[in-house]
Amino acid sequence: MIRLENVTKVYEGGTIAANDVSIDIQKGEFVFLVGASGSGKSTLIRLMLREEPVTRGKIYIAGKDIATLPRWKIPYLRRSVGTVFQDYKLLPNKTVAENVAFALEVLGRPRSVIVPQVEQVLELVDLADKAPRYPRQLSGGEQQRVSVARSFVNRPPIVLCDEPTGNLDPKTSVGIMKLLDRINRTGTTIIMATHDHAIVDAMKRRVVALDDGKVTRDDETGGYEKAVE
Amino acid sequence: MSRIIFLIKEAFVSLRRNLLIVVGAILAVFVSLLLAFGALVVNEILRVNTLAWQEGVHVISFLKDEGESGVPTDAHAVLLADVRSWDETLKAFYVSKSEAWIEYQELFAGQEELLDIDPTILPASIRIELVDISLHNSVRFRLEQRQDVVRKVTTAANSIEQLQVLSNFLNVFGIGLAIVLGLAAVVLIANTIRLAIYARRDEVSIMKLVGASNWFIRVPFLFEGMIEGVVGAALAVFAVWIGSTNLARAGEGFALFRLDVGQEWFFRWGLLFLVFGAAAGVIGSLLGLSRYLRDADGTGPEVPTGF
Repeated sequence: MIRLENVTKVYEGGTIAANDVSIDIQKGEFVFLVGASGSGKSTLIRLMLREEPVTRGKIYIAGKDIATLPRWKIPYLRRSVGTVFQDYKLLPNKTVAENVAFALEVLGRPRSVIVPQVEQVLELVDLADKAPRYPRQLSGGEQQRVSVARSFVNRPPIVLCDEPTGNLDPKTSVGIMKLLDRINRTGTTIIMATHDHAIVDAMKRRVVALDDGKVTRDDETGGYEKAVE
Repeated sequence: MSRIIFLIKEAFVSLRRNLLIVVGAILAVFVSLLLAFGALVVNEILRVNTLAWQEGVHVISFLKDEGESGVPTDAHAVLLADVRSWDETLKAFYVSKSEAWIEYQELFAGQEELLDIDPTILPASIRIELVDISLHNSVRFRLEQRQDVVRKVTTAANSIEQLQVLSNFLNVFGIGLAIVLGLAAVVLIANTIRLAIYARRDEVSIMKLVGASNWFIRVPFLFEGMIEGVVGAALAVFAVWIGSTNLARAGEGFALFRLDVGQEWFFRWGLLFLVFGAAAGVIGSLLGLSRYLRDADGTGPEVPTGF
């Protein structure tokens, strides 16, 4: 489903954020990218979204090298990849329902499809009653659930999460992880960058550890501490 | 279809939510186009007056009295027939000595000291309207060849030509000014839209992350720019129309100078300015967006943050 082949990312000034990274991720996998701040987790997420170009190497998503993707095709890539971020990245001037619907609007779906699909996914994240509210009227956990709902509303094959529990308390984090787990069980591939020990240890999923941009460990069902040692 | 409706709705929602920036953009268009349209109206007033002044008699040929100094008794009629046959002549008519006296009396009515003259000293004349005012020298030359009957030739063409040169200069200046101010409007709109985008840059980057294409993001901004441009232009046209109408009313008493501009002219140019306003808004939005959308594609400058 996703293959990174000798991916290197060097920023201006010579900072190496990813150094010859090779990872192969199968369809339906749940993969944690772990490591200290500055280890290159978020860079890998951004590279997979083509937010930044790779310096060297190849990134295949569904068999296509996204490094060579022309600029006008990038939106198509992003429509097939859901994203969840630490800071939620919700549109402040749109309601919960409008934020979720936006992912379908960009696909050009008709209202007759958008309305029931948004209702359904808001039910899934238990926010149906808060559909007309604005993000500022929600708690952090609720905003993150909206973000998860938006990432999944068009049923993408892949969801990329960058520290989705970073701003949340442990109890709320568990709720978000349960949601992501449910989504994963539908066959969606999930890649999640995190430095939350408890979550990684509790989930017992594949763990890829990074240090200074290099893969230092790739465990089928690893724990956090073991991974970053 | 539903996507277009969505994008138009987005534009109106954005207009409502960014009211201050929108008002700023409309004022920018209004001020620039007010000056540009004002310059055009002044230009039109000058053009209309120059044309009016060019109408009528261009050359007057004062004649020697018939039957005196060997001038034949039918000399005036012969010359008039000659003048009428020239290619340069549009119209020519004869003013006899007695008609000249009547004209003189009308001209100096109420000024007794000027009217106390011997009417027989006033010469008869031929008044000529030319096909083209630039032909006045040729006509003057031809008349001056007829010393047997022509006493003196005067022409208003020199002053009209000078006026024409001035009018041409003002015409170019006015249109140039309108173009410069129109371009200024585009730049002002571009900057205002860029400000609007800067204020909403996070929003735009989120839209891109969700998979919105550049055009999907761009279209509401283009609508916004177009609406701002049209409203600004409409206000400018309306303000100039009000100003011009009042000016024309104030200038109704002037005989020599017309201050009114035709309604048809106003309608035509007003419509053109509305189109220009809309185009300026769209171009301004495109310019304002282009750099930001290019950078947001991930192919712009790389910023090493939080990897």
